[in-house]
Amino acid sequence: MSDLDKAIAQLRACRPIPESQVRELCYKARELLIEEGNVVSVDAPVTICGDIHGQFHDLMELFRVGGDVPDTNYLFMGDFVDRGFYSLESFLLLLCLKVRYPDRITLIRGNHESRQITTVYGFYDECIRKYGSANVWRYCCEVFDYLALGALILGATTDLAPTSSISLEESTQSTLPADDDDIESEVLDSQGRVQCKTIRTPPLRDPPTNSTSNGHISPAPDRDALSPPAERPPSSSLPNASSPTLGSTPQPSTSQQSSSSFPIHPPSSTGSILCVHGGLSPLIDTVDKIRLLDRKQEVPHEGAMCDLLWSDPDDIEGWGLSPRGAGYLFGSDIVTHFNRKNDLSLIARAHQLVMEGYKEMFERQIVTVWSAPNYCYRCGNVAAILEIGEDGANGGVVGRSNGDVGRRYGLGEEQVPHSSLPPPGRRYRVFEAAPQDSRGMPAKKPVAEYFL
Amino acid sequence: MMSELQRSFAKAQLAKLPPEAPLIFDEREEDEEYADDTRNRSASDSSASSTGTIVPSPTKHLFERPKSSKPPPASRSSPLEWSEFFETELYLERQRAATKIIHHAYLSPPSSSGPLFVTHHGAGSSGLSFACFAAEILKAIPTAGVLSLDARGHGRTQVEKPKAEDDDQTETIDLSLETLSSDLAGVVQATQRRMSWSALPDIVLIGHSLGGAVVVDLADKGLLGSTVLGYAVLDVVEGSAMEALAHMETYLSSRPSSFPSLASAIEWHTRSRTIRNSFSARVSVPSLLLPVTTEPNPSSSHPQNTATKTTTSYTWRTPLPPTQPYWPTWFEKLSSKFLASRGAKLLLLAGTDRLDKDLMIGQMQGKYQLHVFPDAGHFLHEDQPAKVAAVVAEFWRRNDRAALVLPPKVGDGLKGGGKGEG
Repeated sequence: MSDLDKAIAQLRACRPIPESQVRELCYKARELLIEEGNVVSVDAPVTICGDIHGQFHDLMELFRVGGDVPDTNYLFMGDFVDRGFYSLESFLLLLCLKVRYPDRITLIRGNHESRQITTVYGFYDECIRKYGSANVWRYCCEVFDYLALGALILGATTDLAPTSSISLEESTQSTLPADDDDIESEVLDSQGRVQCKTIRTPPLRDPPTNSTSNGHISPAPDRDALSPPAERPPSSSLPNASSPTLGSTPQPSTSQQSSSSFPIHPPSSTGSILCVHGGLSPLIDTVDKIRLLDRKQEVPHEGAMCDLLWSDPDDIEGWGLSPRGAGYLFGSDIVTHFNRKNDLSLIARAHQLVMEGYKEMFERQIVTVWSAPNYCYRCGNVAAILEIGEDGANGGVVGRSNGDVGRRYGLGEEQVPHSSLPPPGRRYRVFEAAPQDSRGMPAKKPVAEYFL
Repeated sequence: MMSELQRSFAKAQLAKLPPEAPLIFDEREEDEEYADDTRNRSASDSSASSTGTIVPSPTKHLFERPKSSKPPPASRSSPLEWSEFFETELYLERQRAATKIIHHAYLSPPSSSGPLFVTHHGAGSSGLSFACFAAEILKAIPTAGVLSLDARGHGRTQVEKPKAEDDDQTETIDLSLETLSSDLAGVVQATQRRMSWSALPDIVLIGHSLGGAVVVDLADKGLLGSTVLGYAVLDVVEGSAMEALAHMETYLSSRPSSFPSLASAIEWHTRSRTIRNSFSARVSVPSLLLPVTTEPNPSSSHPQNTATKTTTSYTWRTPLPPTQPYWPTWFEKLSSKFLASRGAKLLLLAGTDRLDKDLMIGQMQGKYQLHVFPDAGHFLHEDQPAKVAAVVAEFWRRNDRAALVLPPKVGDGLKGGGKGEG
């Protein structure tokens, strides 16, 4: 067992690793991250996760629900630290996994991955408490500066990969209005039971047809709650062309599998998915402009890099002032334009607490994913992760749209297509806070002495 | 369990502080009164050695002395005049039902286009609590103005009832939230009339503690309409305030009930770290106290002692224990009103963030701006006036309607598909 594996085992047990190991880990992580561009390319299948905020036990629950690394390919959209009691263990574990399995986990930067924010919201104090000095905090902050600002998911499919809840298929197939190919998104609970499905509606045209998704609530099937979904063999009746890692089963998507199903399925390609912690910036109209930023610095108070980490979508037109004091609000027109211009089918982002764990907005053009259940041990919300399947339709060869402007139109003047790309198939797994004892929790904050 | 501990700790701390703090001065310190930060530190250190409980705060920024060109006063506990911080003071008479109230407020009027920061202090405090902040905000925004009132029952604001059945001492003042917020709106409007402003300037409301609840109530009721650009709440959160109320009686009873001099009262405030900036304490503390002339032995009448040994001591101007019935009503629904009211929202907290559930959700949904001052105490605007003013000034700049230029909307690209790009 290598030192790194030992460190992973120790961190999985929620025990901090020695300062010398942190230093070494952070050094290796930086070497790795410096090679990454500002926008990392990630191949589907991938599971997208939102804010963690030091809720270590909930991160373990996330891995239980979504599958473990390296079996599942993960993309974390930042805000690993602050507010929760185990920022240190959470971030270091993710960092260890990154160093150990660099191709199976992607970490991008959130607005809390910053010196200024962590000194106020807990991570700095936690490091001081656990190590007696600020060294570990300093090492971590140096890593923060190297984290990518965004990720582009390539090779996603419009199909929804087969769910492992076969009992559901059997029990409800007759009541479903369409067969599995038409399922655009579904929501599973932490036991893998389907809570709700959405049928694919015609792709968005210009002007947008106001097609709200037909949320279809399926009855939760009786299942043994304890048996992990992975133990269920895939049903032969279900298409398994695109086989994202479901549950904890590593299912390498071989071209064999894909080609066998190629004739059965229509092309299911979709655009890329841009993942970023906050949102868009008025200074950024193409993904390439993100690539040009100098990211290796503390998060600035304003400018493009700040906006990407701080902005929020909102029901407005155009750009608005963010009540947060940093970044902007942006409306659906901004997202529509950006997605079309950059061949994106979806923007996935985190940054905002959503009580249901995820929230799709603007005709499914943008989604907020939030992965910290019962945030800060008091908010009462559930958390979610988003699984994106792999498009195996063309024999495992990923049709890459890498965000280059107008690539689909060859050379010549820049064009913005008139219609949006169909959104990728989306499987949300919703989970609640892990039960945890209060050991190791710092004492309750003192109440103020004087408060009138 | 914890609160018990805290209480005993707080008591122990306070007990070590002499209620009438001896005035010990280091000559060397006085010479360097306004010299630099090192003086500040050495002052703290010497205090620490004299009481054994004071923690020096090296991060505290020395407050720069505004305006005055006078030589520094002889003592670092001597009172400072309001006139060093504000341009003028106003006495504004208002009739409300059967009550005549003469509101006292400090004003530095804004220039033609500048914003007006309207400040409301906390319970037991006064308009001069914002004196240092006012000086700093005017440095940050030279066109701005500051209006800082004394709430009823506080400072130099006078409430006169037509029938004086009781003594002033026993009369309970109406300190309901509704009354206080309508007072605040009334004072702003009366100021407009007194100053003959044709229209109200853009207003940023700032309230500390109880004052925070007052400004949020004012914003919630829309009493000043759309002139209110935004509101800032200083170190009060519904959830934690409600929790703290249970300990407030203990805290209040542990305060000294009187001081032999203004200087000793200032000393007590700085040494107990109630106010961690002695410069601010020197201007704000005197307004908290009333001189009381007492005979040497008030309980027993010994005629031989009269006249010669009459002494003056200083008691709290606003007795807080009788206001207790109002306490919970001040903070009830504060969080939901803070989030729901119109205008830009800024929450400034001292120490650590003490957000309750509503505000935690609101913050993580990006509904308001939060700023935490780890090194400040409850009176953060007195402890760190320059830093607080910098954040408030930035808050105003962001939300200034006149200067607001948003990025262009998606133009022709979306509709016309490719024309007029770039």
